[in-house]
Amino acid sequence: MGWGLILWRVLLRPLRREPARAGLTVLAVALGVAVTLAIDLAGEAAAGSFRSSVETLAGEADFEITAIGGVPEETVGALARLPLDLRVRARIEAAGFAPDGGFVNILGADFLEGADEAAAPAEGGMRRGALVSAAMGVAAAGEVRVRVGERTLAWPVAGVLPATAATRGVRLVLLDIADAQESVGRLGFVDRILIRGPRGMSPEQLEEALRGSLPDGVLLQPAGASTEENRKMLRAFRWNLRILSYIALIVGGFLIYNTISVSVVRRRADIGILRALGAGRAFVLGVFLAEALAIALVGSAAGVGLGRLLAEGSVAMIAGTVNALYVGSRPGAIVLTGPAVWLAASGGVVVALVAAWAPAREAAGVAPADAMGRGRKEYRERLRAGRLFGWSAALAAAAFALARLGPVDGKPFFGYGAALLAVAAGALAAPGLTRWGVRAAQAAAVQLAGIEGLLALRSLGATTRRTSVLVAALATAVAMMASVGIMVGSFRETMIVWLGDQLKADYFLARPGRSGTFDAALADRIAGLPEVAAVDRFRMYPISFRGLPSVLASGESRVVLTSGMTRFLDGDREDALDALPSCDCVIASEPFATKHGVRAGQTVELPLAGRMVRLRVLGVFYDYGNERGMLVMDRGRMLRHLPDTALTSLAIYAKPGSDPRAAIERLLAGAEVLLASNAELRRGAVTVFDRTFAITYALELVAILVAVMGVAGALLALVIDRRRELGLLRFLGASRGQVRKVILCEAGMIGLLANGAGLVLGVALALLLVFVINKQSFGWTIQFHWPVAALVSGLTVVYAATVAAAIYPGRVAARLNPIEVMHEE
Amino acid sequence: MEPALRFVNVSKDYLADGARVSALNGVNLEIGPGQFAALVGRSGCGKSTLLNLAGAMDFPTHGEVFIGGEPTSALDDARLTALRRRRIGFIFQSFQLLGTLSVAENVETPLLLAGERNARARALAALRWVDLENLAGRMPHQLSGGQMQRVAIARALVHEPSLILADEPTGNLDSATGNLVIGVLRRVAAERGVTVVMATHSAESAAAADLTVRLRDGRVEETAAR
Repeated sequence: MGWGLILWRVLLRPLRREPARAGLTVLAVALGVAVTLAIDLAGEAAAGSFRSSVETLAGEADFEITAIGGVPEETVGALARLPLDLRVRARIEAAGFAPDGGFVNILGADFLEGADEAAAPAEGGMRRGALVSAAMGVAAAGEVRVRVGERTLAWPVAGVLPATAATRGVRLVLLDIADAQESVGRLGFVDRILIRGPRGMSPEQLEEALRGSLPDGVLLQPAGASTEENRKMLRAFRWNLRILSYIALIVGGFLIYNTISVSVVRRRADIGILRALGAGRAFVLGVFLAEALAIALVGSAAGVGLGRLLAEGSVAMIAGTVNALYVGSRPGAIVLTGPAVWLAASGGVVVALVAAWAPAREAAGVAPADAMGRGRKEYRERLRAGRLFGWSAALAAAAFALARLGPVDGKPFFGYGAALLAVAAGALAAPGLTRWGVRAAQAAAVQLAGIEGLLALRSLGATTRRTSVLVAALATAVAMMASVGIMVGSFRETMIVWLGDQLKADYFLARPGRSGTFDAALADRIAGLPEVAAVDRFRMYPISFRGLPSVLASGESRVVLTSGMTRFLDGDREDALDALPSCDCVIASEPFATKHGVRAGQTVELPLAGRMVRLRVLGVFYDYGNERGMLVMDRGRMLRHLPDTALTSLAIYAKPGSDPRAAIERLLAGAEVLLASNAELRRGAVTVFDRTFAITYALELVAILVAVMGVAGALLALVIDRRRELGLLRFLGASRGQVRKVILCEAGMIGLLANGAGLVLGVALALLLVFVINKQSFGWTIQFHWPVAALVSGLTVVYAATVAAAIYPGRVAARLNPIEVMHEE
Repeated sequence: MEPALRFVNVSKDYLADGARVSALNGVNLEIGPGQFAALVGRSGCGKSTLLNLAGAMDFPTHGEVFIGGEPTSALDDARLTALRRRRIGFIFQSFQLLGTLSVAENVETPLLLAGERNARARALAALRWVDLENLAGRMPHQLSGGQMQRVAIARALVHEPSLILADEPTGNLDSATGNLVIGVLRRVAAERGVTVVMATHSAESAAAADLTVRLRDGRVEETAAR
């Protein structure tokens, strides 16, 4: 009780006396916690959406069977004939569009399986009935219309599915499997077979029993494996976002350090008195750790609420990225789970305690007489910039060494470690840099800002330790902004160059939203136009390769050889494209090659239409189109294995001097495909790219906001600590404006140092991001590029924000009553 | 001739915990140019309040304060600042030098704040007058107490004010050093014609003044010329 009372008196009362400053620190922690929680929740919602409604409706199953191009329907019969008590369910999974353009899931299932028997066949030669979800907005006995491919199909509604977690808010049409096969053009095939084994049979025994009756070219894997594969595929992406979100928390940690340091300075005499009255070192240590804990707990509690709100805003951005780079998904609901809250909140608490440890330990180590006698000077003088600089160099060297190590389980853990060490190296270099920078800038400051500039810089120089923490915090945020800016800018530039190489055709044709296929006859009619020189028919199949989702595609290699993509990073381009039509061969995209360690000359095996096919890799090409990676065959060879002629997209090459647009558009009348010119497609790709990285900009913004709030709080503390000096200036003839100018000059110098240090650190981090973390996470080679305009504008905004952060402290300083503050002394 | 400082029926009230406290009550006072005046009295008698009003740092609740004939209550904050820059210099008990500035930089600060030219040359001249030109490049913590107070006097003189207000200038000094500082203040009044108003508890210091003003409970109890 007694200790609690003392804690209250020496800890919480002082915090209450400065609500603005304490509030800013709490808010900084809250933002850090909120961002990490929001990214976690939103990432989970985006990833969780892979377990789609269709999968949820599939019900319990032990194994699933899939195949590229579909599983022959005889397989269902073969499995059913096995002398085992199996539950075998076949599925057709397709997509369509409602009349209002909304996405519709189409699921074909055997209505006689049991639960689906409610949809009895309709009479009168009409299509059989469909069960629909409530989100379709169609009543029972009505008619549901869905556009599938180039046709609009209608079914009588036999019933509305009960609202469950799987169907709520989802547009779903459930058909009998035979009807679904016919409607979506998959006669003779099913998309998935779900198997439930007999009770008491182990998964290994069941797998053994099933394999014997399956054709070669099908994939047997545990049920839900594709969902797991998608989640696995997203792990690197989510990890990178998570790491970015932790930067805001780290910046918050600097501010906690600063707050506790200020507390130690201010209460140094109190510490001495308490020690003289019998308090031990542990108590003093506990007081300051408790202060950090109090800030962290309040900040974390606020951060959890704020994080839940931020997650709502973030999920759309993350889902946009997932859609653009990976596979189509619908964001799931945001669920505030205990582990996510615990992780974010404990992150805030741990960062706060770690940040407070050094100043708290220093306070605990001070002898009572020293604390009461010498006041704050000793604290200032104990800064050892030289030794810290040495440590900084050592950490930088360690970061360099870590950056040279490879990924662990496909994740760039050493890269992250190197980035963390680089940030730590930057923080340790900050005191030396601040001391040197303040000295070097003095003459210029006097020249530019007169006596106010001199007073500001001398004041900063006298509080190097405090100033350098601010510089380190802001520099970390600036470094994050600069590094991500350089990485994204480099990636963007690389992609634009790649688009220039890759997109040589004059027009491109695809289904809206790049989903589904269209009839190859349309391509034949376009190829026959007199204005058209050539077309490249492109087809993509989603596949699973070595436990990761990927893409198998086919194109017309002869057309590509003469007109299409140009850059290979492994293998000879001409030889590869020339040989593709005449062998079971593929070329691999760079992400595919990196993920699976595939090189030109190696062989990969894929299950195609009922048999395993060995495909020789002829080369590896640069590709920034999707992160899953892609194998590309010649279309003619692909059709031998998978005779489905439908196309995913079509590249159209015009004859010199002619524009086939009008003629193509006449052919396309009524077809649900989109025609885009070369320029339109490139613009679209860049727009998608920019949207993809919107979330990173949002994270940067939060980190900078936290840092700028820290500057405001710290300047406020400096104003309070230096009120006598500021009051004296008024006695010496300074106007209120001049006092305000001193504070603004201090913020300006902090901004200048932080921008400089942040830019240098940012370039180092950008090199890590581009050449280590990105390469190991996603497999893309990015050409380094300086986004000068973006960097200059970003740094200018940060600088302006830093100076703006001094407006309130400056106003407080200008309004100090000089008589009162002088009288205090 | 217009007095350097004139108080006409000046009262100053403060609010302390919601209660009105009278710091000065109907003070009438005139101090002429070049006079060295000492304000004496017990703690809380109103010496510092009187100095603050005389230095245009505060306004009276009632009455009028004239500095060089100029009424302070008619001036806004900017004009008060200008008045201080032009006419007033301050000296404090605890010297109040800016620890981050050198001796010369401390002395030239009022000139730089006022945007005046030749600040460094004038600062060195002021330091020369207090015999400290040789310490111009030192930092305050490298000086003795007496030296610090002489630097403060140089700073108060540097912009050639007509009025110097000194609040217990010898309070933190031993008697020998205190006498030295009082001697410098006497010279300021005698040689430069600057009016010096000094609040002090020290009878020895007060004895050096031309005029002694005794305050009691916010009122002028006695005015005695030497």
